[in-house]
Amino acid sequence: MMEDKRKPKRTKATAKPRKKRAPRVVKQEADVATELRELEHRLDALIESTPASHAVLPEPELSPSAQASPPPTADPPTVFDTARELLSTDFYLRRWGQAAMRNRSEEVDDFGYDPTYDARARPLFDFLYTRYFRVECRGVSNIPNEGRCMLVANHSGTIPFDGPMLKTAVKREHPGKRDVRWLAEDFVFHFPFVGSFESRIGAVRACQENAERLLRQETLLAVFPEGIKGIGKLYKERYKLQRFGRGGFVRLALRTRTPIVPVAIVGAEETNPMLLRLEAIAKPLGLPYVPITPTFPLLGPLGLVPAPTKWKITFGEPIFMHDGAESETDELLVARLSERVRSAIQELLDTSVRERKSVIFG
Amino acid sequence: MGTGKSPKGSTKLEPRAERSPAPSRDARVVAVTGTSSFIGQNLLGLLDEDPSIDRVVAIDVKAPGAGKKTRFYEVDLTQPAAEARLAEILAAEHARTIVHLAFHSSPSHATAYAHELESVGTMHLLVAARQARVRKLVMGSLTLLYGAHPSNPNFIAEHHPLRAPKHEPFFADKIEAEAELGRFAERSEAIVTVLRTAPILGPTVKSFLTRYLSRRVMMTMMGFDPLLQFVHEIDAIAAFKLAVDRDVPGTFNVCGDGVLPLSTVAKLAGRVAFPIPHPIAEPITSLAWMAQLAPVPSTFLPYLRFLCVADGARARDVMGFRAAHTTREALTDFVGAQRLRDVKLLQET
Repeated sequence: MMEDKRKPKRTKATAKPRKKRAPRVVKQEADVATELRELEHRLDALIESTPASHAVLPEPELSPSAQASPPPTADPPTVFDTARELLSTDFYLRRWGQAAMRNRSEEVDDFGYDPTYDARARPLFDFLYTRYFRVECRGVSNIPNEGRCMLVANHSGTIPFDGPMLKTAVKREHPGKRDVRWLAEDFVFHFPFVGSFESRIGAVRACQENAERLLRQETLLAVFPEGIKGIGKLYKERYKLQRFGRGGFVRLALRTRTPIVPVAIVGAEETNPMLLRLEAIAKPLGLPYVPITPTFPLLGPLGLVPAPTKWKITFGEPIFMHDGAESETDELLVARLSERVRSAIQELLDTSVRERKSVIFG
Repeated sequence: MGTGKSPKGSTKLEPRAERSPAPSRDARVVAVTGTSSFIGQNLLGLLDEDPSIDRVVAIDVKAPGAGKKTRFYEVDLTQPAAEARLAEILAAEHARTIVHLAFHSSPSHATAYAHELESVGTMHLLVAARQARVRKLVMGSLTLLYGAHPSNPNFIAEHHPLRAPKHEPFFADKIEAEAELGRFAERSEAIVTVLRTAPILGPTVKSFLTRYLSRRVMMTMMGFDPLLQFVHEIDAIAAFKLAVDRDVPGTFNVCGDGVLPLSTVAKLAGRVAFPIPHPIAEPITSLAWMAQLAPVPSTFLPYLRFLCVADGARARDVMGFRAAHTTREALTDFVGAQRLRDVKLLQET
């Protein structure tokens, strides 16, 4: 108690002489200002004098070099120079750095999409699109040229290629050449390489916050409401839509007033036909399931190469959600709209499958 | 001396401080705990220069640089008698606002002391604040407390649960301190503001992060390239000043705009990223931490694999805080100073 009372007093006492010192500080500041000004003048003088000397110097240097003898700096690098460069660690560090940045831009967007990296990966997806899966695209004009829009598609194929293919389809076929971002399951981001690769080419982890943020930025967003249940479908359940989550995408569309375009992707289901799904050994690996396909554990990792099926992507008529934001809490409305979208996709799927004569040749 | 470290922030903030009307009728006294911390010492300088503040009370175990209006009290928050002494000081100085910054900015090997300081020290401070009927309490926290998980949204809002690894005392103590403050806020009428800063980078700041970025070879996790977010040191200090000047109850994320992948961070910093498979990295880091070679224990490794990026929208909309520097600018500012340090052109005292 006593100590506390004494302390402020002591500080006050020390504060007093500082006040007296204050004018001196001001004077010092003025001194500093004049010194700075002098320094500036000297620097200005230096700057003015240097270009003149530079302007003089290069001329005598240039003229002899133009005449005959090469300047000493232009000597061809000797073996020793090369060796010295190769032996220095800086050389390798520089090379390493250049190699690391060759394929990427220095800035990514909020969700980690890297346009340079994507442009590098595009030839691969173009090859898959035109040659491998020979994708046929219909009704792409149903996608608006601008503004937010949600593509709701069926999800399939053990290893999902439908996200990147949907993106390639819109990029190639749509007159607006719009970029598609798609929502990917959580487990993708658990994995080394896969997660960072997918996010550089445009995948975003599926959650309400991310989707809402993307839609508010007026993006074209592809969602697969079936989620893991969709890609984990067995072969015998193909082209039968699984449950559409809890209607989160409808709630999102209502909240952000986003039109929904139903999309049916046919052909993806047969790329890796899953005969069996092992869940017991998948848990410790952090996987949702371990697939058993006609080729997978049999041929090792090669067995995961997708079969070259013929794909058909059909875009349906857009469904507009005109109701206000208060309707998002209306469970009945959400369920009804969710079912409406689901049946629209199922219908598109059924007609496409009916028209198809062969899985491989379409 | 402490004031000399923040010459840039002060000029920017002056007009803002004048615009906001002085809220209290009597003298405006601000108490700051943890004035040896980076934000503490810079905030002290800013407050000392602010004409609308009459007195600054510095509370720490080490005296800060002398300011004109600053009074220093040596209080060890870990001592059991600290709360009585703090209450006396706050009452005697009529401090209506407390800025609580007595936290470690880097993980410490002295975990028991860190627990006493951060968790128990906050408890002492809150008891003293209740006794002294403080009007406003501002506390510093970290966005790292959200934890790095693959299931995180890309931008974490303030209401998201704090899921940092609980077995790491560096996080657990801070989460406890936040919980204590939450209970305090429920029961008292004081304005309670929590500022969760993203990892701070800049020319002068020092932390585990700057140690990590100043190594020639940076360890990364093979196959993972998470997006990182930083805040510039000037912005972080300015946010605390803003929280002192304005009455904004609640929790706010303080972060710079934009994100950068870890690989690009390494590249911009001029470092070599050395990828190690994460199952191997864990024991290596643990050993290196025990040998005091690593800046962080292995519990920090998830931050090299998964996202932990905060959403600064609330600070912008409610508090009116807008970071003047992006994540990239914060990094490049740090890198500029670090280059000089690397070639010994910049000597730190």
